[in-house]
Amino acid sequence: MKAIYGLYTEGTAAQRAVDHLRAAGVADTDITILSPEPREDLAFSHMHPPTYMWWFACLGGLIGCATAIALVYITEASWPLVVGGLPIVAWWPNLIIMFELTMLGAIAATVITLVVSAGLARTRQGIYDPEVSSGSILVGVERPALAAIAAYEQALSTTPGARIKKI
Amino acid sequence: MAHKWGMAADLDRCTGCGACVTACHAENNISTVGAEQAARGRAKHWIRVERYWEGEFPDVHMKFRPVMCQQCDNAPCEPVCPTYASHHTPDGLNAQVYNRCIGTRYCANACPYNVRFFDFFNPSWEKPLHLQLNPDVSLREVGVMEKCTFCVQRIKATAIQAEAENRELKDGEIKPACVQTCPATALVFGDLNDPGSEVSRLARSPRGSKLLEDLGTLPKVTYLSKQTQP
Amino acid sequence: MSSVGTMQPVPDQVRADLLRPLLRTSWKFYSLVLILGAIVVAALTAWATQMTLGFGISGIRWPIYWGFYVTNFVFWIGISHAGTLISAILRLVNAGWRRPVTRCAEVITAFALMIGAMFPIIHLGRPWLAFWLFPYPSERMIWPNFRSPLVWDFFAINTYLTGSVLFLFLPMIPDFAVVRDRATGMRRRIYGALALGWRGTPTQWHRLETAMQIMAVAIIPVAVSVHTIVSFDFSMAPVPLWQSTIFGPYFVAGAIFSGIAGLIIAMALLRRFLHLERYLHPVHFQNLGKLLLMMALLWGYFVFNERLVTYYGNRVSDMQVFWRTQRLTFAPLYWTMVGCNFVLPLVIMGISRFRTITGCVIASIGVVIGMWLERFLIIVPALGHKYLPYSFGVYRPQPVEIVITIGTFAAMALLYVLFAKFVPIISMWELTAVQHPGPALIPPATAEHPLGETHA
Repeated sequence: MKAIYGLYTEGTAAQRAVDHLRAAGVADTDITILSPEPREDLAFSHMHPPTYMWWFACLGGLIGCATAIALVYITEASWPLVVGGLPIVAWWPNLIIMFELTMLGAIAATVITLVVSAGLARTRQGIYDPEVSSGSILVGVERPALAAIAAYEQALSTTPGARIKKI
Repeated sequence: MAHKWGMAADLDRCTGCGACVTACHAENNISTVGAEQAARGRAKHWIRVERYWEGEFPDVHMKFRPVMCQQCDNAPCEPVCPTYASHHTPDGLNAQVYNRCIGTRYCANACPYNVRFFDFFNPSWEKPLHLQLNPDVSLREVGVMEKCTFCVQRIKATAIQAEAENRELKDGEIKPACVQTCPATALVFGDLNDPGSEVSRLARSPRGSKLLEDLGTLPKVTYLSKQTQP
Repeated sequence: MSSVGTMQPVPDQVRADLLRPLLRTSWKFYSLVLILGAIVVAALTAWATQMTLGFGISGIRWPIYWGFYVTNFVFWIGISHAGTLISAILRLVNAGWRRPVTRCAEVITAFALMIGAMFPIIHLGRPWLAFWLFPYPSERMIWPNFRSPLVWDFFAINTYLTGSVLFLFLPMIPDFAVVRDRATGMRRRIYGALALGWRGTPTQWHRLETAMQIMAVAIIPVAVSVHTIVSFDFSMAPVPLWQSTIFGPYFVAGAIFSGIAGLIIAMALLRRFLHLERYLHPVHFQNLGKLLLMMALLWGYFVFNERLVTYYGNRVSDMQVFWRTQRLTFAPLYWTMVGCNFVLPLVIMGISRFRTITGCVIASIGVVIGMWLERFLIIVPALGHKYLPYSFGVYRPQPVEIVITIGTFAAMALLYVLFAKFVPIISMWELTAVQHPGPALIPPATAEHPLGETHA
């Protein structure tokens, strides 16, 4: 079986299902939760590993800055053309190029980190149900052990009217 | 020592005849644009004779001033060109490299003397004028900037000749087209780094002044005039 | 509950309302696209004509070498500052009223930037060589001059464009997932590809929101730098009235000013034609209207500053251009600009009775006209009247420039209409998320706001 999951229209019901699944012995990382919007008010919204995106953004900025310094210094020194009495390597205007490439590096690093850490580029994704985009929250377990399916079904059925699906 | 080419223009000798303008057109393959386009501001006079009236009738008199590229040492046209088409050469000239120019026209806006010209159309000459083109000067296609070069083709040709003959350049040997043609010998060309040259002497003259000197462009054309400048 | 909260529809209603433009197309859409498309085609034809026949068909002349094209360039880059201010700054200060407005604003930024970035190419004498601004290793020793403001423009605008497009695209991913689930066939595949691998796990939501935070922090200095660098196109040249140290902040303030005006107009049109009355409330327009008022005051302050300093400097060439704009040839345009940019917004936005949606739109249209005139009046009077009287000139715009200018407005409208057809113009997940704010967003209960309600 690929997965067993329940669809809930109320956030509190979904949270209850998550709690019961944890009580049934499922590890946090094995619980799949899909929601149509971020639910900061519920605890399951915070069950994610910490992110180092800010650090990667700073790193990207540093790489951009270094690239810019190398670009302007090496090329301006290699082709020393005098323009308007300015020095060959003029640092005031070079600061502008450095600033732009720093910000570009930070932005690029942020987006790359997002794509990688959110798993957006993976060809093999986990389970998904179109009901999620219509407003339901999905809580389930992927590739459950055969023996535990009944327990999981019990945990997911805590709310009356919850739709349980097995695929 | 490297050369530093400069010019002097004696306004007390200039009669405003315009022969320098014609000579420049002939030497540098500058096409005329016709009366209609000239009225719309498309004429390309690398050297032009500015004519000003002074005083009230009947006490009027005219002043003539030939204005060409001042080859500024602190040229405002140079830092703004995005492709280095406008840059400073070691012998003090402001070079305009037609092949690099993409026609942003920033240099022309930055030039306080308005001596830079844009090619609005591909050049054309009415027959038989197409037969008198100078083979030493490239034709400029539509979309590039052009300006006075102090007849750099003549400077280079004479310098190469002097080197071939294993001698130094003599003062007054290089004559740009305008200098050569002026009937009043109002224009002088030479090496400002040579203190003995005619142009250096005139640059030190008490009659001498620079055009728009207060802008800090460090132009290399000295204008000589007995009257007080307005 | 605040007025915004009580009028918030349920999530299903939100999705239905915001997906309706994608799922239903009326004849009005097709006719609008046809008309706007025709104008854009006319503008492109005009440009092609200019490239074949040469720049001579334009009004550019000695010594006024920049005219309508550079005016449009600065104008459109200015309009593009709408999205950044609204989206990034309001996102950072967690202002709830920004939620229905962010995507409308970010779309303006992306398209205004693309249109504005066309003009440095349109105004080139040899536009087919525009790629020389990019630093690539070349056998011919072609290399950009990093000391030139135009090269700074290239780097700044590309950075801002990349940042803005990403800033716009990232929050669209969850909405693409919603459209994907409701579409069939080819549309499903396209939206599925655009939604990347979005599922909606807590990790993905958290990463997305963190990325948006970082982008918001990063995009604000970039936006400030872009219009400052555009102002450097003028202040780096020794032209009378151009070499002013105030140009950087002056242009940025003017850009934000015109951007807010553009945003108000776009939002009013969207509200009317897509029936978004439930989402774009008068309070949104009032808040933006107050911002418009503040920017009008700021604009007036900068203009006064610049003019007074020039007046006291009393330099010959500066004062000639000064009087040329204020009293002589350009006086009608100048005083129209002051009326549109300062008097009109002050009157309409300053008096709360006039601060309705219609009032905001009227003020904004005035500001858009006024800001276009301001850019024109910075460029043309100064260039026509530099230092040597023999070389003064008069600029007369020609049909090719006028057609291209009108074409850009049509292009902006066309791109916007097409965008609203294919992407929900208001971010659905951000609207539904506000109904479940995190604990940190709920302020403690006070006598005025019992039960700790959110002030969305």
